[in-house]
Amino acid sequence: MGGKRKMGEGEAVEEEEKEVNPTNKKRQILPSLIKNKEKRSAVFAKLKHEKKLEKKKKHKAREAADKRALDLGEELPPRKIPRTIENTREFDETVCKPNDEELFKGNDADEFSKILRREFTPKILITTCRYHSTRGPAFISELLTVIPNAHYFKRGTYDMKKIVEYANNKEFTSIIVVHTNRREPDALLIIGLPDGPTAHFKLSKLVLRKDIKNHGNPTTHMPELVLNNFTTRLGHRVGRMIQALFPQDPNFRGRRVVTFHNQRDFIFFRHHRYIFEQKENKQIDGKGKKAKDAKDTKDTKDTKGESISQGKMIARLQECGPRFTLKLISLQHGTFDTKGGEYEWVHKPEMDTSRRRFFL
Amino acid sequence: MPRTIAVECPGCPPIRALTFDVLGLIKVIEGRGGGGDQQATTTTPKVVERWGEPDSSRTVLAASINDRKSDPLLAVARKNGRIEVLNPLNGELRVAEKTEVGGDDDPITGLHLFKRERFELSSRSCTLITCTVKGNAILRSLEIADSLTDSKCTDSRKTWNVCAAGNILCSAVDGNENYALFGGKGVELNVWDLETCSKTWNAKSPPKNSLDIFTPTCFTAATFLCKDDHRKIVAGTNSHQVRLYDISAQRRPVISFDFRESAIKTVAEDLDGHTIYLGTGSGDLASVDMRTGKLLGCFLGKCSGSIRSIVRHPEFPVIASCGLDRYLRFWDINTRQLLSAVFLKQHLTKVVIDSNFSDKETTAAAVGPPKEMHEEKQMLVEEEDDEEDASVPVKRKKAARESEQSKKVKAKKKKEKRVRHDDEDDEEKQMLVEEDVDDASMPVKRKKANRENEQSKKLKSKKKKEKQVQHEDEGDEETQTLVEEDDDKASMPVKSKKASRESEQSKKLKPKKKKVKRIQHKDEDDES
Repeated sequence: MGGKRKMGEGEAVEEEEKEVNPTNKKRQILPSLIKNKEKRSAVFAKLKHEKKLEKKKKHKAREAADKRALDLGEELPPRKIPRTIENTREFDETVCKPNDEELFKGNDADEFSKILRREFTPKILITTCRYHSTRGPAFISELLTVIPNAHYFKRGTYDMKKIVEYANNKEFTSIIVVHTNRREPDALLIIGLPDGPTAHFKLSKLVLRKDIKNHGNPTTHMPELVLNNFTTRLGHRVGRMIQALFPQDPNFRGRRVVTFHNQRDFIFFRHHRYIFEQKENKQIDGKGKKAKDAKDTKDTKDTKGESISQGKMIARLQECGPRFTLKLISLQHGTFDTKGGEYEWVHKPEMDTSRRRFFL
Repeated sequence: MPRTIAVECPGCPPIRALTFDVLGLIKVIEGRGGGGDQQATTTTPKVVERWGEPDSSRTVLAASINDRKSDPLLAVARKNGRIEVLNPLNGELRVAEKTEVGGDDDPITGLHLFKRERFELSSRSCTLITCTVKGNAILRSLEIADSLTDSKCTDSRKTWNVCAAGNILCSAVDGNENYALFGGKGVELNVWDLETCSKTWNAKSPPKNSLDIFTPTCFTAATFLCKDDHRKIVAGTNSHQVRLYDISAQRRPVISFDFRESAIKTVAEDLDGHTIYLGTGSGDLASVDMRTGKLLGCFLGKCSGSIRSIVRHPEFPVIASCGLDRYLRFWDINTRQLLSAVFLKQHLTKVVIDSNFSDKETTAAAVGPPKEMHEEKQMLVEEEDDEEDASVPVKRKKAARESEQSKKVKAKKKKEKRVRHDDEDDEEKQMLVEEDVDDASMPVKRKKANRENEQSKKLKSKKKKEKQVQHEDEGDEETQTLVEEDDDKASMPVKSKKASRESEQSKKLKPKKKKVKRIQHKDEDDES
């Protein structure tokens, strides 16, 4: 694209001054090679201005085409899809395919299948690292409102392995450990019980409820769960692990939704209340949003069954509860064992060969 | 465009591997050469077959192959306590046995299928040794019949207990199949004589360190260092230590060193008898020379999960590794480069290589001895480099110019020659013709060679002239010798560059020497 544009400009300049063509063309190709800063910046400014003009022209042309199509009653010209890092992602053979029966058999055999088949209700133990203060307890109290059937236990001076043993005896299904560093929660450890995997997440961008503008207060209804974009085999496993933290029968009356959205290997956590409302004006936009929402919820397991689309209904969201971002550091086979544990996946620097390579 | 670094997988030699996973599936991975013989040296392996139905209770815990040429066998121990003997070629079940020990509380950890006959019962029986976590070792023999119903377990079995307490985690049988070793959590390494079922050697735990801290014994991987020698044992521990034991020397390790930060999960020996391959719980794979305990190098790749099994191919310089990251990977042991990786969807527990595959399936041309193949490859690479040099356009231009110039010169000289020596022999003309033919028939490497040939021709022609002027009488003989020289050059066009240069230099040098000699002679004359 860039090259083409430059060529176009080159032609334009050629028309003006044909005698100095070769030298001029050289400069056009590599303006960064000009050593004099004033001249270089002048050339750059000129280029930039030309680009801007070009862009404006294109935009105008596109708008005109749209308008003409509307007037004539034809179909609108197709919108171009911008190239992003996500849709130019490197090919990954581990991405799960919907018709893979081996995958489903594997899912049936894994550690979470009993919970997800509703043979057990999940029961979560939340604890902390040895020393914690300020934001840590506040975050934990909010987590307790987000995750139903979660119980906070003081850490005391117990070993992690002892805690795992204790939780196993008390029939907990998962342990969450919030790790705090410099009075700021910075890591999350989720251990599946009795023999489930251990996932270690980096936690960042934590915003507590009271710091969110116009936040709502969640009810005690069972939340709906939205898991977005966990595509690869590893992502699938992490997704199922997160799914096993929440009860599998949401109260749709509560209109409370918890979202884990994966984008470029970062898992964004959001907690919302939603409400369906009639909206009169701005019909097109409303429809678009509605359709999108419905689609999102359909993708996941817990769909909003009642949200049958009616013409002018829109969903309004109110954020409540904490907001944070997780990044997977390692997934370990078996319960917590740093010394002799076997890792299913651990991030290594040699794996970062490209910014378009994602693991979840 | 997106900036990506392509993962280079050069492909591996024709290979057949079988992997076992937690769902009890057996997958056959084959790398076959595409039709032609030239492609057969590098292939991309693919999953060819899948045996068994996915069932988590049938998780494969251990497997062993007896890959003899006729009637190969494959033994598989499953989590539900069943031991199955299969045909590794088509997955047909030969014998299945349910063990009374085993099951959930006491699963099998080690299994070895004997390559030579232990009990002289009948020709159609196989012997195998199993060991459970609690240390129940059983040496048994299964009779194989044509149909599944006829075959049964015979009574000839020996049972003994390896350890009183603790868990057995690793076991191995030496190359001659006379000794077996066991080790595990709370169990020091011990070696058993299989003939008499008696313990012959027991390791001693290392002393406390300088801080008086005693690390509890936990062996997670062990193997014999060489096939023929049962006295040297390599073991990996949970506290990321690698130890070399020598039975004949002492009960404590001879060499002991740390490797990285996570538990050693598997150890495999090389054929050369001193190199071993380590796989750790966090996906590091490395080769170590056990004579010195020095790290030879790590196998770098996108290996992100614990390595459960490593196998060395008996012929090609290739190892296969598999583990919890659901990939089977093939590595070159010389360059330590990833040859190819196959995604197999499940956690893999074990991999074995069927070494007879290449003999049976692909053409005989592909199955050269591996070293020769390497040399050939290197040769090929070098030749390619030469070709590339020749194909650089700038050089070509120069060469073309020069050749034109030289042609002009040559033509002139030829004319002169013909004018001067019309009575030249027919042989020389013939020789020229032959050279031309040679040039035409070797279009690839001609440029430089041409130049040099021409230069040498110039030189020669000058000399010839001189000689012919001087010794017109001896012309016949000389031309004959010249013809021979030229024939030599034409027959070695590849190596001609350096050779011809050297010869030119030497030619230049020779006259100088002669001059010097003459001067000396003169001096001598003066003195005299």
